[in-house]
Amino acid sequence: MSKKKSLDSFEDKLKRLEAITEKLESGETGLEQSIVLFEEGIKLSKECISILNKAELKITTLQKELNNISTNDED
Amino acid sequence: MNEVKEQIFSVSEITRSIKFVLESNFEKLSIEGELSNFKAHSSGHWYFSLKDEEAVINCTMWKGVNNYVFFTPEDGMKVIITGRLTVYAPRGSYQIDVRTMKPAGVGELQAAFERLKRKLFDEGLFDEQYKKAIPFFPKKIALITSSEGAAVRDMISVAERRFPLVELLIVPTKVQGADAAREIVENLAKVNLLKNIDVIILARGGGSIEDLWPFNEEIVARAVFKSDIPVITGIGHEVDFTIADFVSDLRAPTPSVAMELATPDQEELKGIIQDNSSAIVSSINSILDEYRSEIEYQINSYTFKYPLEKVRNYSQQIDTLNIMINNLVEKKLLTNNSRILLLSKTLEGYDIQKSLKKGFALIRQNSKFVTRKNNFNKSETHTIQFYDGEIKI
Repeated sequence: MSKKKSLDSFEDKLKRLEAITEKLESGETGLEQSIVLFEEGIKLSKECISILNKAELKITTLQKELNNISTNDED
Repeated sequence: MNEVKEQIFSVSEITRSIKFVLESNFEKLSIEGELSNFKAHSSGHWYFSLKDEEAVINCTMWKGVNNYVFFTPEDGMKVIITGRLTVYAPRGSYQIDVRTMKPAGVGELQAAFERLKRKLFDEGLFDEQYKKAIPFFPKKIALITSSEGAAVRDMISVAERRFPLVELLIVPTKVQGADAAREIVENLAKVNLLKNIDVIILARGGGSIEDLWPFNEEIVARAVFKSDIPVITGIGHEVDFTIADFVSDLRAPTPSVAMELATPDQEELKGIIQDNSSAIVSSINSILDEYRSEIEYQINSYTFKYPLEKVRNYSQQIDTLNIMINNLVEKKLLTNNSRILLLSKTLEGYDIQKSLKKGFALIRQNSKFVTRKNNFNKSETHTIQFYDGEIKI
Protein backbone atom coordinates (compact mmCIF):
# COMPACT_ATOMS: atom_id res chain seq x y z
CA MET A 1 0.00 0.00 0.00
CA SER A 2 1.45 3.34 -0.95
CA LYS A 3 1.87 6.07 1.59
CA LYS A 4 -0.71 8.29 0.03
CA LYS A 5 -3.21 5.49 -0.20
CA SER A 6 -2.83 4.49 3.43
CA LEU A 7 -3.23 8.08 4.53
CA ASP A 8 -6.29 8.50 2.36
CA SER A 9 -7.78 5.37 3.73
CA PHE A 10 -6.89 6.38 7.28
CA GLU A 11 -8.66 9.67 6.84
CA ASP A 12 -11.68 8.00 5.23
CA LYS A 13 -11.83 5.30 7.86
CA LEU A 14 -11.66 7.80 10.70
CA LYS A 15 -14.40 9.91 9.15
CA ARG A 16 -16.57 6.82 8.65
CA LEU A 17 -15.90 5.75 12.24
CA GLU A 18 -17.01 9.12 13.55
CA ALA A 19 -20.11 9.01 11.36
CA ILE A 20 -20.99 5.57 12.74
CA THR A 21 -20.54 6.75 16.32
CA GLU A 22 -22.82 9.68 15.66
CA LYS A 23 -25.44 7.47 14.03
CA LEU A 24 -25.44 4.96 16.85
CA GLU A 25 -25.57 7.69 19.48
CA SER A 26 -28.53 9.29 17.74
CA GLY A 27 -30.53 6.19 18.69
CA GLU A 28 -32.38 6.31 15.40
CA THR A 29 -31.03 3.05 14.04
CA GLY A 30 -33.00 -0.16 14.26
CA LEU A 31 -31.64 -3.23 16.02
CA GLU A 32 -30.32 -5.00 12.95
CA GLN A 33 -28.73 -1.86 11.48
CA SER A 34 -27.24 -1.00 14.87
CA ILE A 35 -25.51 -4.34 15.07
CA VAL A 36 -24.18 -4.02 11.51
CA LEU A 37 -22.87 -0.52 12.29
CA PHE A 38 -21.38 -1.68 15.57
CA GLU A 39 -19.41 -4.42 13.85
CA GLU A 40 -18.20 -2.06 11.12
CA GLY A 41 -17.19 0.57 13.69
CA ILE A 42 -15.16 -1.82 15.80
CA LYS A 43 -13.42 -3.14 12.68
CA LEU A 44 -12.64 0.41 11.51
CA SER A 45 -11.18 1.48 14.83
CA LYS A 46 -8.87 -1.53 14.85
CA GLU A 47 -7.76 -0.77 11.30
CA CYS A 48 -7.11 2.90 12.10
CA ILE A 49 -4.92 2.04 15.08
CA SER A 50 -3.07 -0.50 13.00
CA ILE A 51 -2.40 1.99 10.18
CA LEU A 52 -0.91 4.45 12.69
CA ASN A 53 1.19 1.78 14.36
CA LYS A 54 2.61 0.58 11.06
CA ALA A 55 3.29 4.04 9.59
CA GLU A 56 6.85 4.98 8.78
CA LEU A 57 7.90 8.54 8.02
CA LYS A 58 8.95 9.04 4.42
CA ILE A 59 11.48 11.76 3.68
CA THR A 60 12.63 12.99 0.28
CA THR A 61 14.57 16.05 -0.71
CA LEU A 62 13.76 18.37 -3.55
CA GLN A 63 17.26 17.79 -4.91
CA LYS A 64 16.72 14.04 -4.91
CA GLU A 65 13.40 14.41 -6.65
CA LEU A 66 14.97 16.55 -9.32
CA ASN A 67 17.87 14.07 -9.66
CA ASN A 68 15.44 11.21 -9.98
CA ILE A 69 13.59 12.99 -12.71
CA SER A 70 16.79 13.72 -14.67
CA THR A 71 18.08 10.13 -14.17
CA ASN A 72 14.81 8.78 -15.46
CA ASP A 73 15.02 11.08 -18.43
CA GLU A 74 18.45 9.73 -19.34
CA ASP A 75 17.22 6.14 -19.28
CA MET B 1 58.88 84.57 -8.37
CA ASN B 2 56.37 85.59 -10.91
CA GLU B 3 58.93 84.71 -13.43
CA VAL B 4 58.63 81.08 -12.62
CA LYS B 5 56.99 79.52 -15.49
CA GLU B 6 53.70 77.98 -14.62
CA GLN B 7 53.50 74.31 -15.51
CA ILE B 8 50.57 73.58 -17.70
CA PHE B 9 48.91 70.16 -17.40
CA SER B 10 46.59 68.47 -19.68
CA VAL B 11 43.25 67.42 -18.13
CA SER B 12 44.33 63.86 -18.22
CA GLU B 13 47.65 64.61 -16.64
CA ILE B 14 46.18 66.55 -13.75
CA THR B 15 43.42 64.00 -13.32
CA ARG B 16 46.05 61.26 -13.14
CA SER B 17 47.85 63.26 -10.45
CA ILE B 18 44.67 63.89 -8.49
CA LYS B 19 43.77 60.24 -8.86
CA PHE B 20 47.17 59.20 -7.55
CA VAL B 21 47.14 61.61 -4.62
CA LEU B 22 43.58 60.87 -3.60
CA GLU B 23 43.58 57.14 -4.12
CA SER B 24 46.85 56.60 -2.30
CA ASN B 25 45.71 58.74 0.64
CA PHE B 26 42.20 57.28 1.00
CA GLU B 27 42.86 53.61 0.52
CA LYS B 28 41.23 52.27 3.62
CA LEU B 29 38.17 54.15 4.71
CA SER B 30 35.31 53.52 7.09
CA ILE B 31 32.44 55.94 6.70
CA GLU B 32 29.13 56.22 8.48
CA GLY B 33 26.31 57.95 6.71
CA GLU B 34 22.71 57.80 5.60
CA LEU B 35 21.87 55.99 2.40
CA SER B 36 20.19 57.94 -0.35
CA ASN B 37 19.41 57.43 -4.01
CA PHE B 38 20.00 53.73 -3.63
CA LYS B 39 19.80 51.91 -7.01
CA ALA B 40 20.35 48.20 -7.53
CA HIS B 41 21.08 48.15 -11.26
CA SER B 42 20.05 45.19 -13.35
CA SER B 43 23.75 44.58 -14.02
CA GLY B 44 24.01 43.61 -10.37
CA HIS B 45 25.97 46.70 -9.34
CA TRP B 46 24.72 49.05 -6.67
CA TYR B 47 24.84 52.85 -6.97
CA PHE B 48 24.03 55.13 -4.05
CA SER B 49 25.07 58.12 -2.02
CA LEU B 50 26.02 58.50 1.60
CA LYS B 51 25.10 61.73 3.22
CA ASP B 52 24.90 63.64 6.45
CA GLU B 53 23.58 67.12 7.19
CA GLU B 54 26.23 68.93 5.26
CA ALA B 55 27.80 66.66 2.69
CA VAL B 56 27.17 63.86 0.26
CA ILE B 57 29.49 61.35 -1.33
CA ASN B 58 28.79 58.97 -4.20
CA CYS B 59 29.36 55.27 -3.81
CA THR B 60 29.44 52.14 -5.94
CA MET B 61 29.29 48.57 -4.76
CA TRP B 62 30.04 46.01 -7.38
CA LYS B 63 28.25 42.82 -8.10
CA GLY B 64 29.98 39.95 -6.36
CA VAL B 65 30.93 42.17 -3.47
CA ASN B 66 27.41 43.25 -2.63
CA ASN B 67 26.43 39.55 -2.37
CA TYR B 68 27.87 39.63 1.12
CA VAL B 69 25.49 42.28 2.39
CA PHE B 70 22.89 40.39 4.39
CA PHE B 71 20.18 43.03 4.10
CA THR B 72 18.64 45.01 1.32
CA PRO B 73 19.79 48.61 1.72
CA GLU B 74 17.18 51.28 1.55
CA ASP B 75 17.18 55.03 1.55
CA GLY B 76 17.28 56.60 4.97
CA MET B 77 19.09 53.69 6.56
CA LYS B 78 22.26 54.61 8.42
CA VAL B 79 25.10 52.35 7.42
CA ILE B 80 28.81 51.96 7.96
CA ILE B 81 30.75 51.18 4.85
CA THR B 82 34.36 50.33 4.22
CA GLY B 83 36.10 50.91 0.93
CA ARG B 84 38.50 53.12 -0.91
CA LEU B 85 38.25 56.37 -2.77
CA THR B 86 38.48 56.18 -6.54
CA VAL B 87 38.56 58.89 -9.13
CA TYR B 88 36.55 58.33 -12.28
CA ALA B 89 38.44 60.21 -14.90
CA PRO B 90 35.82 60.29 -17.69
CA ARG B 91 33.50 62.20 -15.39
CA GLY B 92 36.03 63.95 -13.27
CA SER B 93 34.32 62.67 -10.22
CA TYR B 94 35.30 60.77 -7.19
CA GLN B 95 33.42 58.08 -5.45
CA ILE B 96 33.80 55.38 -2.86
CA ASP B 97 34.34 51.84 -4.08
CA VAL B 98 32.50 50.07 -1.26
CA ARG B 99 33.78 46.71 -0.01
CA THR B 100 31.49 46.08 2.95
CA MET B 101 28.33 47.56 4.28
CA LYS B 102 26.56 47.00 7.59
CA PRO B 103 23.83 48.80 9.45
CA ALA B 104 25.16 51.58 11.71
CA GLY B 105 23.39 49.85 14.59
CA VAL B 106 20.74 47.29 15.44
CA GLY B 107 18.39 50.24 15.67
CA GLU B 108 18.76 50.70 11.93
CA LEU B 109 17.54 47.18 11.24
CA GLN B 110 14.76 47.63 13.75
CA ALA B 111 13.73 50.80 11.98
CA ALA B 112 13.82 49.07 8.58
CA PHE B 113 11.77 46.27 10.07
CA GLU B 114 9.17 48.71 11.37
CA ARG B 115 9.03 50.55 8.05
CA LEU B 116 8.44 47.39 6.07
CA LYS B 117 5.97 46.09 8.62
CA ARG B 118 4.01 49.34 8.41
CA LYS B 119 4.09 49.30 4.61
CA LEU B 120 2.93 45.71 4.22
CA PHE B 121 0.35 46.16 6.93
CA ASP B 122 -1.05 49.13 5.08
CA GLU B 123 -1.16 47.07 1.92
CA GLY B 124 -3.19 44.46 3.77
CA LEU B 125 -0.68 41.63 3.50
CA PHE B 126 -1.23 40.66 7.14
CA ASP B 127 -5.03 40.61 6.91
CA GLU B 128 -6.79 37.63 8.43
CA GLN B 129 -8.89 37.26 5.31
CA TYR B 130 -5.81 36.11 3.37
CA LYS B 131 -4.79 33.48 5.91
CA LYS B 132 -5.24 30.05 4.40
CA ALA B 133 -6.46 27.17 6.55
CA ILE B 134 -3.92 24.53 7.48
CA PRO B 135 -5.25 21.09 6.50
CA PHE B 136 -5.78 18.76 9.44
CA PHE B 137 -4.41 15.70 7.65
CA PRO B 138 -1.48 16.87 5.50
CA LYS B 139 -0.20 14.23 3.09
CA LYS B 140 3.00 15.96 2.15
CA ILE B 141 4.79 18.84 3.86
CA ALA B 142 7.60 20.80 2.20
CA LEU B 143 10.31 22.06 4.54
CA ILE B 144 12.03 25.14 3.19
CA THR B 145 14.98 25.27 5.52
CA SER B 146 18.67 24.49 5.80
CA SER B 147 19.35 20.80 5.21
CA GLU B 148 21.85 20.97 8.04
CA GLY B 149 21.43 22.05 11.61
CA ALA B 150 19.09 21.33 14.46
CA ALA B 151 15.95 22.85 12.94
CA VAL B 152 15.47 20.24 10.23
CA ARG B 153 16.37 17.38 12.57
CA ASP B 154 13.93 18.64 15.19
CA MET B 155 11.15 18.92 12.63
CA ILE B 156 11.78 15.40 11.33
CA SER B 157 11.65 13.94 14.81
CA VAL B 158 8.45 15.81 15.62
CA ALA B 159 6.84 14.48 12.44
CA GLU B 160 8.09 10.99 13.25
CA ARG B 161 6.59 11.12 16.73
CA ARG B 162 3.33 12.85 15.92
CA PHE B 163 2.22 11.72 12.50
CA PRO B 164 4.46 9.28 10.63
CA LEU B 165 1.77 8.91 7.95
CA VAL B 166 2.92 12.21 6.50
CA GLU B 167 5.62 12.59 3.86
CA LEU B 168 8.27 15.26 4.18
CA LEU B 169 9.90 17.00 1.24
CA ILE B 170 13.06 18.75 2.33
CA VAL B 171 13.97 21.72 0.19
CA PRO B 172 17.55 22.60 1.14
CA THR B 173 17.69 26.37 1.32
CA LYS B 174 20.16 28.97 2.48
CA VAL B 175 18.51 30.71 5.40
CA GLN B 176 21.24 33.16 6.32
CA GLY B 177 23.36 35.69 4.47
CA ALA B 178 22.95 37.76 1.36
CA ASP B 179 21.70 34.99 -1.00
CA ALA B 180 19.25 33.59 1.47
CA ALA B 181 16.30 35.84 0.67
CA ARG B 182 16.58 35.15 -3.05
CA GLU B 183 16.88 31.38 -2.48
CA ILE B 184 13.89 31.34 -0.17
CA VAL B 185 11.86 33.17 -2.82
CA GLU B 186 12.98 30.76 -5.54
CA ASN B 187 12.22 27.69 -3.49
CA LEU B 188 8.80 28.96 -2.49
CA ALA B 189 8.07 29.33 -6.19
CA LYS B 190 9.45 25.86 -6.99
CA VAL B 191 7.41 24.16 -4.31
CA ASN B 192 4.33 25.95 -5.55
CA LEU B 193 4.88 24.30 -8.91
CA LEU B 194 4.57 20.86 -7.30
CA LYS B 195 0.99 19.75 -7.18
CA ASN B 196 1.00 17.49 -4.17
CA ILE B 197 2.23 19.71 -1.34
CA ASP B 198 -0.35 20.46 1.33
CA VAL B 199 1.68 22.69 3.64
CA ILE B 200 4.98 24.56 3.47
CA ILE B 201 7.02 25.09 6.61
CA LEU B 202 9.48 27.96 6.29
CA ALA B 203 11.87 27.50 9.14
CA ARG B 204 15.16 28.47 10.65
CA GLY B 205 16.80 27.89 14.01
CA GLY B 206 17.64 30.70 16.38
CA GLY B 207 20.17 33.42 15.61
CA SER B 208 20.93 37.11 15.79
CA ILE B 209 18.77 39.71 14.09
CA GLU B 210 21.33 39.72 11.26
CA ASP B 211 21.03 35.93 10.91
CA LEU B 212 17.27 36.10 10.75
CA TRP B 213 17.27 39.11 8.46
CA PRO B 214 16.37 37.28 5.23
CA PHE B 215 12.95 36.67 6.77
CA ASN B 216 12.53 40.43 7.14
CA GLU B 217 13.16 41.09 3.48
CA GLU B 218 10.34 42.41 1.38
CA ILE B 219 10.83 39.88 -1.43
CA VAL B 220 10.45 37.02 1.07
CA ALA B 221 7.34 38.57 2.58
CA ARG B 222 5.79 38.96 -0.86
CA ALA B 223 6.70 35.42 -1.90
CA VAL B 224 5.12 34.01 1.27
CA PHE B 225 2.02 36.06 0.59
CA LYS B 226 1.90 34.87 -3.00
CA SER B 227 2.19 31.17 -2.15
CA ASP B 228 -0.94 29.21 -3.03
CA ILE B 229 0.08 26.54 -0.56
CA PRO B 230 -0.44 27.48 3.10
CA VAL B 231 2.81 28.55 4.76
CA ILE B 232 3.66 28.02 8.41
CA THR B 233 6.68 29.96 9.64
CA GLY B 234 8.90 28.72 12.44
CA ILE B 235 11.76 31.17 12.62
CA GLY B 236 14.21 31.58 15.48
CA HIS B 237 12.92 31.43 19.01
CA GLU B 238 9.74 32.43 20.77
CA VAL B 239 10.79 36.09 21.05
CA ASP B 240 11.75 36.48 17.40
CA PHE B 241 9.13 37.99 15.17
CA THR B 242 9.97 38.43 11.51
CA ILE B 243 8.03 40.04 8.69
CA ALA B 244 7.56 36.59 7.19
CA ASP B 245 5.77 35.58 10.40
CA PHE B 246 3.25 38.35 9.93
CA VAL B 247 2.55 37.41 6.33
CA SER B 248 2.47 33.64 6.77
CA ASP B 249 -0.78 31.77 7.23
CA LEU B 250 0.32 30.56 10.65
CA ARG B 251 3.24 31.65 12.81
CA ALA B 252 4.98 29.18 15.10
CA PRO B 253 7.51 30.29 17.69
CA THR B 254 10.06 27.62 16.67
CA PRO B 255 10.61 25.09 13.87
CA SER B 256 9.53 22.20 16.14
CA VAL B 257 6.28 23.93 17.02
CA ALA B 258 5.73 24.66 13.31
CA MET B 259 5.80 20.91 12.67
CA GLU B 260 3.50 20.34 15.62
CA LEU B 261 1.02 22.81 14.19
CA ALA B 262 1.27 21.15 10.77
CA THR B 263 0.55 17.60 11.96
CA PRO B 264 -2.12 15.91 14.03
CA ASP B 265 -0.83 13.97 17.03
CA GLN B 266 -1.18 10.23 16.59
CA GLU B 267 -1.66 9.77 20.34
CA GLU B 268 -4.60 12.16 20.17
CA LEU B 269 -5.88 10.37 17.08
CA LYS B 270 -5.64 7.05 18.89
CA GLY B 271 -7.54 8.67 21.75
CA ILE B 272 -10.22 9.82 19.34
CA ILE B 273 -10.42 6.33 17.82
CA GLN B 274 -10.59 4.79 21.31
CA ASP B 275 -13.32 7.23 22.33
CA ASN B 276 -15.28 6.39 19.23
CA SER B 277 -15.01 2.68 19.76
CA SER B 278 -16.06 2.92 23.40
CA ALA B 279 -18.92 5.21 22.40
CA ILE B 280 -19.95 2.59 19.85
CA VAL B 281 -19.77 -0.18 22.47
CA SER B 282 -21.83 1.77 24.99
CA SER B 283 -24.32 2.78 22.30
CA ILE B 284 -24.87 -0.79 21.20
CA ASN B 285 -25.18 -1.88 24.83
CA SER B 286 -27.78 0.73 25.59
CA ILE B 287 -29.62 -0.13 22.38
CA LEU B 288 -29.60 -3.80 23.34
CA ASP B 289 -30.63 -2.96 26.91
CA GLU B 290 -33.52 -0.97 25.56
CA TYR B 291 -34.69 -3.90 23.51
CA ARG B 292 -34.19 -6.26 26.45
CA SER B 293 -36.22 -4.15 28.80
CA GLU B 294 -38.84 -3.68 26.12
CA ILE B 295 -39.13 -7.45 25.77
CA GLU B 296 -39.22 -7.86 29.55
CA TYR B 297 -41.89 -5.24 29.80
CA GLN B 298 -43.94 -6.96 27.16
CA ILE B 299 -43.55 -10.32 28.87
CA ASN B 300 -44.58 -8.88 32.22
CA SER B 301 -47.38 -6.86 30.70
CA TYR B 302 -51.10 -7.78 31.15
CA THR B 303 -51.27 -8.69 27.47
CA PHE B 304 -48.75 -11.46 27.97
CA LYS B 305 -50.23 -12.58 31.31
CA TYR B 306 -53.74 -12.60 29.91
CA PRO B 307 -53.42 -15.77 27.81
CA LEU B 308 -52.40 -17.70 30.93
CA GLU B 309 -55.39 -16.34 32.73
CA LYS B 310 -57.51 -17.34 29.82
CA VAL B 311 -56.04 -20.80 29.80
CA ARG B 312 -56.82 -21.13 33.45
CA ASN B 313 -60.31 -19.83 32.85
CA TYR B 314 -60.81 -22.28 30.04
CA SER B 315 -59.51 -25.18 32.04
CA GLN B 316 -61.82 -24.29 34.85
CA GLN B 317 -64.68 -24.10 32.42
CA ILE B 318 -63.68 -27.45 31.02
CA ASP B 319 -63.63 -28.90 34.50
CA THR B 320 -67.10 -27.57 35.14
CA LEU B 321 -68.36 -28.97 31.89
CA ASN B 322 -66.77 -32.29 32.70
CA ILE B 323 -68.54 -32.41 35.97
CA MET B 324 -71.78 -31.52 34.29
CA ILE B 325 -71.29 -34.15 31.64
CA ASN B 326 -70.43 -36.75 34.19
CA ASN B 327 -73.49 -35.88 36.15
CA LEU B 328 -75.66 -36.04 33.11
CA VAL B 329 -74.18 -39.33 31.97
CA GLU B 330 -74.58 -40.83 35.37
CA LYS B 331 -78.18 -39.69 35.55
CA LYS B 332 -78.88 -41.13 32.13
CA LEU B 333 -77.28 -44.37 33.08
CA LEU B 334 -79.37 -44.57 36.17
CA THR B 335 -82.55 -43.87 34.22
CA ASN B 336 -81.65 -46.46 31.65
CA ASN B 337 -80.89 -49.02 34.27
CA SER B 338 -84.25 -48.62 35.82
CA ARG B 339 -85.89 -48.81 32.43
CA ILE B 340 -83.98 -51.98 31.71
CA LEU B 341 -85.17 -53.37 34.97
CA LEU B 342 -88.70 -52.50 34.09
CA LEU B 343 -88.36 -53.96 30.63
CA SER B 344 -86.81 -57.10 31.92
CA LYS B 345 -89.70 -57.44 34.30
CA THR B 346 -92.12 -56.96 31.43
CA LEU B 347 -90.18 -59.46 29.43
CA GLU B 348 -90.36 -61.81 32.30
CA GLY B 349 -94.10 -61.80 31.78
CA TYR B 350 -93.58 -63.24 28.36
CA ASP B 351 -91.25 -65.89 29.62
CA ILE B 352 -91.75 -69.36 27.93
CA GLN B 353 -91.40 -71.16 31.20
CA LYS B 354 -94.32 -69.23 32.54
CA SER B 355 -96.46 -70.31 29.52
CA LEU B 356 -95.31 -73.86 29.94
CA LYS B 357 -96.17 -73.68 33.59
CA LYS B 358 -99.64 -72.55 32.61
CA GLY B 359 -100.00 -75.81 30.52
CA PHE B 360 -98.85 -74.72 27.09
CA ALA B 361 -96.42 -77.05 25.29
CA LEU B 362 -93.81 -76.53 22.59
CA ILE B 363 -93.29 -78.86 19.62
CA ARG B 364 -89.84 -79.11 18.20
CA GLN B 365 -88.78 -80.85 15.09
CA ASN B 366 -85.11 -80.96 14.00
CA SER B 367 -84.35 -78.68 16.94
CA LYS B 368 -86.62 -75.97 15.55
CA PHE B 369 -89.84 -74.86 17.16
CA VAL B 370 -92.85 -75.72 14.99
CA THR B 371 -95.13 -72.74 15.25
CA ARG B 372 -97.48 -73.47 12.31
CA LYS B 373 -99.42 -76.56 11.08
CA ASN B 374 -97.83 -76.41 7.64
CA ASN B 375 -94.38 -76.67 9.09
CA PHE B 376 -95.16 -79.96 10.84
CA ASN B 377 -93.74 -83.03 9.12
CA LYS B 378 -95.75 -86.19 10.11
CA SER B 379 -93.12 -88.62 8.93
CA GLU B 380 -90.42 -87.26 11.23
CA THR B 381 -89.95 -87.46 14.94
CA HIS B 382 -90.84 -84.51 17.11
CA THR B 383 -90.38 -83.50 20.63
CA ILE B 384 -93.03 -82.07 22.86
CA GLN B 385 -91.78 -79.88 25.65
CA PHE B 386 -93.81 -79.50 28.77
CA TYR B 387 -93.13 -77.50 31.81
CA ASP B 388 -91.81 -80.49 33.67
CA GLY B 389 -89.96 -82.26 30.78
CA GLU B 390 -89.96 -83.48 27.18
CA ILE B 391 -91.49 -86.40 25.36
CA LYS B 392 -89.90 -87.68 22.13
CA ILE B 393 -92.47 -89.19 19.70
